[in-house]
Amino acid sequence: MELGRMVVDLRSDTVTKPSEAMRAAMAAADVDDDVIGVDPTARRFETEMARMMGKEAALFVPSGTMANLISVLVHCDTRGSEVILGHNSHIHIYENGGISTIGGVHPRTVPNNPDGTMDIDKIAAAVRNLDGGGICYPTTRLICLENTHGNCGGKCLSAEYTDKVGEVAKTHGLKLHIDGARIFNASVALGVPVDRLVRAADSVSVCLSKGLGAPVGSVIVGSKAFIEKAKILRKTLGGGMRQVGVLCAAAHVGVRDTVGKLADDHRRAKVLAEGLKKIKQFTVDLSSVETNMVYFDITDPLISPGKLCQVLKQRNVLAMAVSSKSVRLVVHYQISDSDIQYAVTCMEEAADEILSSNAKSVHLANGSTANSYGN
Amino acid sequence: MSTKVVDLRSDTVTKPSEAMRAAMAGAVVDDDVLGTDPTAHRFEMEMARMLGKDAALFVPSGTMANLISVLVHCDSRGSEVILGHNSHIHIYENGGISTIGGVHPRTVTNNPDGTMDIDKIVAAIRNPDGALCYPTTRLICLENTHGNCGGKCLSVEYTDKVGEVAKNHGLQLHIDGARIFNASVALGVPVDRLVRAADSVSVCLSKGLGAPVGSVIVGSKAFIEKAKILRKTLGGGMRQVGVLCAAAHVAVRDTVGKLADDHRRAKVIAAGLSKIKHLTVDLTSVETNMVFFDTDPQISPGKLCQLLEQRNVLAMAVSSKSVRLVIHYQISDSDVQHVLTCMEEAVEEILSRNAKFEHLTNGATTDSYGN
Repeated sequence: MELGRMVVDLRSDTVTKPSEAMRAAMAAADVDDDVIGVDPTARRFETEMARMMGKEAALFVPSGTMANLISVLVHCDTRGSEVILGHNSHIHIYENGGISTIGGVHPRTVPNNPDGTMDIDKIAAAVRNLDGGGICYPTTRLICLENTHGNCGGKCLSAEYTDKVGEVAKTHGLKLHIDGARIFNASVALGVPVDRLVRAADSVSVCLSKGLGAPVGSVIVGSKAFIEKAKILRKTLGGGMRQVGVLCAAAHVGVRDTVGKLADDHRRAKVLAEGLKKIKQFTVDLSSVETNMVYFDITDPLISPGKLCQVLKQRNVLAMAVSSKSVRLVVHYQISDSDIQYAVTCMEEAADEILSSNAKSVHLANGSTANSYGN
Repeated sequence: MSTKVVDLRSDTVTKPSEAMRAAMAGAVVDDDVLGTDPTAHRFEMEMARMLGKDAALFVPSGTMANLISVLVHCDSRGSEVILGHNSHIHIYENGGISTIGGVHPRTVTNNPDGTMDIDKIVAAIRNPDGALCYPTTRLICLENTHGNCGGKCLSVEYTDKVGEVAKNHGLQLHIDGARIFNASVALGVPVDRLVRAADSVSVCLSKGLGAPVGSVIVGSKAFIEKAKILRKTLGGGMRQVGVLCAAAHVAVRDTVGKLADDHRRAKVIAAGLSKIKHLTVDLTSVETNMVFFDTDPQISPGKLCQLLEQRNVLAMAVSSKSVRLVIHYQISDSDVQHVLTCMEEAVEEILSRNAKFEHLTNGATTDSYGN
């Protein structure tokens, strides 16, 4: 590892560390027992989040996984429920299948398009028709959207699309939940106020611990009745924390201080993508960079994503290999312009290093003497 | 009237100390889900060492600690767990082991001392010959100290005996040790010795130890590995969680040594309450930091707590005739005296109001309260 150089961590925006202002807020937070319902800092924060998102009430939870789990389970609290969601959604792929293993809810996936949407007609077709076929069907109760869509590259769902899905939900008597872990990124990139963006939704989960930088937590927003049920389920799952104001204080600072910096993250993501595009061995679709995520493919078969990330790590740059040929980079406010330049330089060097050590290995396999690496 | 509130509702109300706040603000942190948060890692290792187990896992609450423990021990469908009829898991955790985990509870009567009779535990274990219509018993749960029984301590001898039963029948043993340090201190038994027979223990940091949030599960490496995944599944995987572990670490360092004073103050309160007419306390039942007392029929616990609240003393009515007080380190000796004075005054007030009421129903003119 290069000494004296800070690590440029692009694995995810979850790696953001609490700022000085957050640390001070945590240390000074006015707290009480939130399980009894009396932590003033938690209440103040939840009230503010509800207001900001244009919903009646809000609930602070330890993680986005719990926020989504609670939301799905509350909307689907009757046994025999089904939820429609994207085949490539975070809930379906990265939440341990908890809605089923823990909640007994059945998933019905609809293909995600590269832009993060699901075709409206395919969503409608996936809604169970209980006439005549009801005896062998679960009952569809909920549609879930994800905005921004992580696996599709941090893509934004427009307010128009969201409203359309809301219409489908209403027409069929279903609820609509938005996994809005990065909803503020979407709002900023689209130039649409966040409450307008989620107006069609019955509930939204919002992460504080990703790009907004708080150390821990997410918030669920929805109607008063929904949040009352959510509170009980949160307790049941074990998410009822006592003097949780210490965390809400930091989250509140996150929302206050960092939403305004997201546009810079998006700008830096584009700069990063442009820099990567110039590297021979990589390919990037520049138009696919809408927010703070950059996915790039490695076109040279001699370079594996795993190897690339390993070599980058030696240069104090952390990235995430996401398939046999692609790598993901996520920009956050603790990544500076010079960090971006440094990352691009390291990418180039890493690719060269891997290719040249491959060349040396090939030379070696030809029966020559040990190479300069002493292998 | 003093503006300081003397909160005896529970030891969960403890607020973080200055040392904890400083530790939170200065904590070295990282993404505990993607890898390890160094502060969390250090704290978990220390807790495992202290409790004499291989590994530990920090979780947001005691409820999640117990839920995870039961579900990991009972990860096959069709499992049953033996636990006390009056245990916290059975009464106050939303039935989560069943509604969330699909595990069936088999209760055995808790004695007033918090134990369950050994022979009754054995009798509750399902005979595999009946497997066609029985679930499979996989786990026994104890609770130490036992909350609903009054903060009673289970001895190390009793715990070992239950461990023997578990082993003989191929079962695991989990201890809900939310207040295990209170038990250890009251019994004068090192905490690791106290839980040696257990496969897993849940320990609260946010109660008497005073941390703002959290509990810890301890157990074998293999158990904790599974627990970590279930924690993620339930939504308890937190990112820069070291901010909470830093406070919890301070709590363990600073507050275990103060628990004996909590127990002493509990006894002082109990002794004082026993002198107040119309209140009954069994002094021998006060083993740790909880005091349960009964009220005579003319005094409703709800009314008593209401009048106490007007005097800035908070207590918890737990039934139609009893009240619970829980001592913690943020309750001082003078707070204890203040509580006793307020208790006396509150009882007096209720009695004199009752007297006035009786006078009223006898056809007299309205009393001085204007009723």
